[in-house]
Amino acid sequence: MATRSNWWIAYLFLAPVIVVMALLVFYPLLQGVIYSFTNMTQYNMGSKFAPASWEFIGLKHYIDLFSSMLQPESVFRDVIIQTLIWTFVNVFFHFTIGLILALLLNRNIRGRGIYRMVLVVPWAVPSFISAFSWTWMYNQSYGVFNILLAKLGFAPIPWLGDSFWAMVSVIIVNIWIGVPFMMITLLGGLQGIPQSLYEAARVDGATPWRQFWTITLPLLKPVAATATVLGVIWTFNMFNIIYLVTRGGPARSTQILVTYAYQEGFMNWNFGLAATYGVVILSFLLAFTLLYQRLLKENSNEGVYY
Amino acid sequence: MKRVFGILTAAVLFSILLAACGGSGGSEATETAGQQQDGPVTVTFWTTVRESEAVALKEIIDEFERQNKEIKVNMQLVPFGEAQNKFRAAAQAGNGPDVLRSEVAWTPEFAKLGLLEPLDDYFQDQDDFLDAPLNYSKWNGRVWSVPEVTDALALLYNKKMLAGAGFASAPKTMEEFAQAAKALSNGTDKWGFYLRQTEAYFSLPFVWAFGGGLIDEQKQILINTPGAVEGVEFALKLRDVDRVSPRDLDAANSYQNMNEAFKNGSAAMIFNGPWAMTDILSGEQFQDPTNLGIAPIPAGPGGQTGSPVGGHSLAIYAGSPVKDAAYKLIAFLTSAESQAFLASKNGTLPTRRSAYDMPELKENRMISDFQAVMEAAKNRPVIPEGGQIFAAFDPEIQAIYKGEKKPREGLDAVAQAWRTLLGQ
Repeated sequence: MATRSNWWIAYLFLAPVIVVMALLVFYPLLQGVIYSFTNMTQYNMGSKFAPASWEFIGLKHYIDLFSSMLQPESVFRDVIIQTLIWTFVNVFFHFTIGLILALLLNRNIRGRGIYRMVLVVPWAVPSFISAFSWTWMYNQSYGVFNILLAKLGFAPIPWLGDSFWAMVSVIIVNIWIGVPFMMITLLGGLQGIPQSLYEAARVDGATPWRQFWTITLPLLKPVAATATVLGVIWTFNMFNIIYLVTRGGPARSTQILVTYAYQEGFMNWNFGLAATYGVVILSFLLAFTLLYQRLLKENSNEGVYY
Repeated sequence: MKRVFGILTAAVLFSILLAACGGSGGSEATETAGQQQDGPVTVTFWTTVRESEAVALKEIIDEFERQNKEIKVNMQLVPFGEAQNKFRAAAQAGNGPDVLRSEVAWTPEFAKLGLLEPLDDYFQDQDDFLDAPLNYSKWNGRVWSVPEVTDALALLYNKKMLAGAGFASAPKTMEEFAQAAKALSNGTDKWGFYLRQTEAYFSLPFVWAFGGGLIDEQKQILINTPGAVEGVEFALKLRDVDRVSPRDLDAANSYQNMNEAFKNGSAAMIFNGPWAMTDILSGEQFQDPTNLGIAPIPAGPGGQTGSPVGGHSLAIYAGSPVKDAAYKLIAFLTSAESQAFLASKNGTLPTRRSAYDMPELKENRMISDFQAVMEAAKNRPVIPEGGQIFAAFDPEIQAIYKGEKKPREGLDAVAQAWRTLLGQ
């Protein structure tokens, strides 16, 4: 019974979470946002041997960044476009391939457990090992893909040496890594759909296609929506693959916001500007998440079938 | 609820990113100070040598410990790629190693950050050191490190292949170099020269040969001067018009591909440094090691030449409680005997003039060939920002070799980025 006198128990149970979140999430978050308004670099950040001497510069970083987008040769604009391409192409293929595999695995086929296990392997392998293996396979002169192409009589492809192909290459690696998660999640969703709905539909004479559109997809939506949001956030912030396979190159053509923020923060040591990138990334993801939730709610027909 | 979840997920991911950027608060600094004077002191030494090279280094350290019973050395192998950031983070938090093997370009940066101990009172016999490596140790009127090994890009060539095309010796000028490269190329699988196009470092010899430069002592930016532009245009013409080099913009693989092509005989010449000797001599073309030619970079039309001097030096952490012992170790590691021993075991280049006169190196052809290269080599800028100049340079040189930008435009962009970097 929740009465005024035992409310404190709820707060007591919440307290550890609130403390941990405050320390690990909200404090650094706030600190990062504050840093984005400073000119902090490695020289003025302060250390054991030198006092801190950074200053607040207000919105200068933001103004510089966004006004640079208006220039004809804006790296920042290119990076944003590349980030969007990277994210949406990846998540699109994660979802479609993951859904197809999940549908296949959801049927009664022999050796289903084995397939399921094998298909999860890409996700289980540490991403840097995957990245290195793919880098070897993409090697223009000695990689297995170009050797195969040559055997089949095609011209070699400059996988990592051309802007377009480099983007294709890293996206393929990331699809390979990301599909298993989507597949397993969607498979879980599929298995939660009551069989009785399909039986009823079959009695009414619905084709498999019709069953898919009117039963499977709508009922999969809650799971699919969460998985897609997670997929977008993870892909948007996927640092390893790009950093290890193309290093953002050639000529910045595969840089995304996170790798670019890393470069500003840990190669140029501009912490203020790097924090600004962090805020930009956060704003993008927040805007996306809020918009997506709203869209889902608007044409939501959750609960209709139950 | 879902919305809250979405926001929180985003917030968590974001704060992880920021926490990483936020630097390390000094709270967890564990102080190693207060070493007892009686009993042996321990000197922590971070070295960036590869494990294969560490064997010879360990022998020297064992000898040092035999001669100095009161000092124990705790040697730790830190991967080269991580050492710069690892030291910065540890030192700023107050627990850096006593001795660091620092890449030459890092020293002024760490010195400016106040993380290094000036060595003016310790480092006396500077005259014995080669000028170019020693230059990297000096910044802001003081000495911050002792050069340990040095290196520079040389023209490596396949003697048999060049002789087969009628070139009895290494090309002396860029004109001869282009002729030889053309004579040895067929434009499909035989290349006269394999140019590494994803790292600007490997194009610097052209920049200097045609009279360009990087950044001079007065912090004047020379990378978009006419000579530098001409040098890059020359390299581009070699690849695209004379077709002597394959087009290879694969940053992750191009270094390996270049060496592989040289080792298996599909490329006759490359630019590379002493660090690559062991790898290259393992190639089929160099089963007979005398087939490997090592020559200085060919001179440009004005007779200029240059290749970037690199190397490593030993520095003492400003917060080290055992500075005297640390310097003893440095002095031992950089003595002529130690350098000659390391050079004969690992193929590295000594930084002391007297080391080159030691008997075990007099006979060593690789070392004496590289000595000629060193004499013509040039410093990269000795400024705190020196370790960061390639962050802006590499993508631009890639854009140039990709054909996205004209050499002039690309180098102008580099100069622009460097002006920001230098705060001009």
